Amino acid sequence: MKTIIITGATSGIGLAIATTLAMDGYRVIGIGHSEQSCRKAEQLVHASDPTGECLFKAADLMQQREVHRIADELEPYIVQTCGGKVHALINNVGGVRSWYATTEEGYEQQFALNHLAGFLLTSRLLPYVLAARGRVVMTSSNSHKGVSIHWDDIMLERSYNPLLAYKQSKLCNLLFTKELNSRYGSLGLRAYAVDPGLVQTDIGNKQTGSMVSLIWSIRKRFGVAPSIPAQTYRYLCTQQEYPSGFYYYGCKEQSYSHQVTDDNARRLFALSERLCAITYGDVS
Amino acid sequence: MNVLITGASGGLGRALTIECARRGYHLFLTDINKTGLESLRNGVERQFPVVVATMACDLTDDTDVDRLLAHLDTYGIQFDMLLNVAGLDFEGGFLEQSRKNVLTIVSLNICATLRITHAILSRRAIGKSFSLVFVSSLASQYPIPLKATYAASKRFLLDFAYALGEELKNRHVHVLAVCPGGLVTTRDAMDGIKAQGIWGDMTTNRIEVVTRNTIDRALAGKLVYIPGIANRILSLFGHLLPRTFITMVLYKRWTRSQGKWLDIGA
Ligand SMILES: NC(=O)c1ccc[n+]([C@@H]2O[C@H](COP(=O)([O-])OP(=O)(O)OC[C@H]3O[C@@H](n4cnc5c(N)ncnc54)[C@H](OP(=O)(O)O)[C@@H]3O)[C@@H](O)[C@H]2O)c1
Repeated sequence: MKTIIITGATSGIGLAIATTLAMDGYRVIGIGHSEQSCRKAEQLVHASDPTGECLFKAADLMQQREVHRIADELEPYIVQTCGGKVHALINNVGGVRSWYATTEEGYEQQFALNHLAGFLLTSRLLPYVLAARGRVVMTSSNSHKGVSIHWDDIMLERSYNPLLAYKQSKLCNLLFTKELNSRYGSLGLRAYAVDPGLVQTDIGNKQTGSMVSLIWSIRKRFGVAPSIPAQTYRYLCTQQEYPSGFYYYGCKEQSYSHQVTDDNARRLFALSERLCAITYGDVS
Repeated sequence: MNVLITGASGGLGRALTIECARRGYHLFLTDINKTGLESLRNGVERQFPVVVATMACDLTDDTDVDRLLAHLDTYGIQFDMLLNVAGLDFEGGFLEQSRKNVLTIVSLNICATLRITHAILSRRAIGKSFSLVFVSSLASQYPIPLKATYAASKRFLLDFAYALGEELKNRHVHVLAVCPGGLVTTRDAMDGIKAQGIWGDMTTNRIEVVTRNTIDRALAGKLVYIPGIANRILSLFGHLLPRTFITMVLYKRWTRSQGKWLDIGA
């Protein structure tokens, strides 16, 4: 049984991916925000595939301490139960904030949750993904277009705007994907970024003010059900041959922003290593 | 510039810490939350070329504060700025709270603030300019039923800041009281603000703007800073309307939004 790890798997897109891949016969490890939502999601996924194996764990992934804790907890399980292999790691967790707010490190929350959490978790689980010649999939978005990285103020403390912070974090997802491929493609790893499209989830109603929440409530009515984008993740994870390229929408390769360059990718990677106090080179 | 920040690992404390680090100030951070302090120090050191020292301390505990001061004295650290951020509130009416909680509000917001302020002022470099900041609150502008202890404790800080500012005017000490409205610092705070609807959006201050202006105003020797136009208007009402009328209106409003807030929390 192949193992797939999904972050932000307790609602919306992540939950749809979890049920889809569980039904395909994968062992699903889901990570969510609260113990309560994890138990609920576990039941749902289990109900859709009563014979399968699934495990849900709670962590506040915006805090680096928590990412390390969850990785520490998962490692023995991966080694003992999953044969030391992770077929795919889906970094899907994400959130929106109406206001500038920080994590324990003093990092802006959208940047920390939407980008750094996946960056750090991937580094921790990289050996197991490499062992499976597996895939890393990031939930990015078409909204990554039309912005560039604010290198001199990446946390946007000087020019915070919720949409800008969100868009920049989604551009980070693509840059990270690109750099993962450059670094580990020759070792058999493939990284992809997905644009799920406009999807009916509650993302804009969580931890946002009433204005943002209201706008999102109207906007999401035009979105599709989470099971639709879940098919793209399924495609990227289950194709025998590696799908070409690295940015997908609706199971098809898409064009991405011209900001997605090797230079920017390397620069973000180095900065993220510093902000997480890790070195990716450390993997053996 | 050496800055001491209390309550550094809370939401406002973190934002002020980042603001000061961005300006290149060296920092001594304290909070009761040790893990939070360590994370914050890491985060700052990874981003800015400043010196960050931390020490966990319960500011309501005299001996613990003495320990902190002994530590400062060992290294002979002198400060140019003190940001009194540590403070707290408990939800619920006076009788609905435990006696202990009620006293903790006073003991942290007032006693602990005076304790550390007195100690750090006594250790300032004589003849050099010193900025002293008290984080009061918009709640200091009127008596607030169901937040009676908290609002009064913040009023204390405001009045104290005015008076001390005058007292130390000729001794190079500038005193600023900051009176922010809602600040989005925790998930609960976000839920609380949302429960107040558009009103919440209006009175909520952008934390990164408040922190920047706070330091600017402290350096400029300003006395009071009430962030945001909506909050300044609200504060004006506080001066114009009879206090009995204000308490009546506020009581109605808080009963409603606390009810909603509890609904969301459940
Ligand atoms: N919806 C769209 O139209 C759309 C479009 C483009 C991209 N995206 C991206 O899709 C991804 C998933 O979003 P969604 O729309 O499916 O939203 P969602 O329903 O809110 O799902 C987010 C997931 O992340 C979890 N989560 C949130 N904060 C967390 C934290 N601090 N620690 C751990 N887990 C946390 C949530 O847990 P709870 O269940 O407890 O809330 C939930 O499982 C995000 O990266 C988003 O940026 C969405």
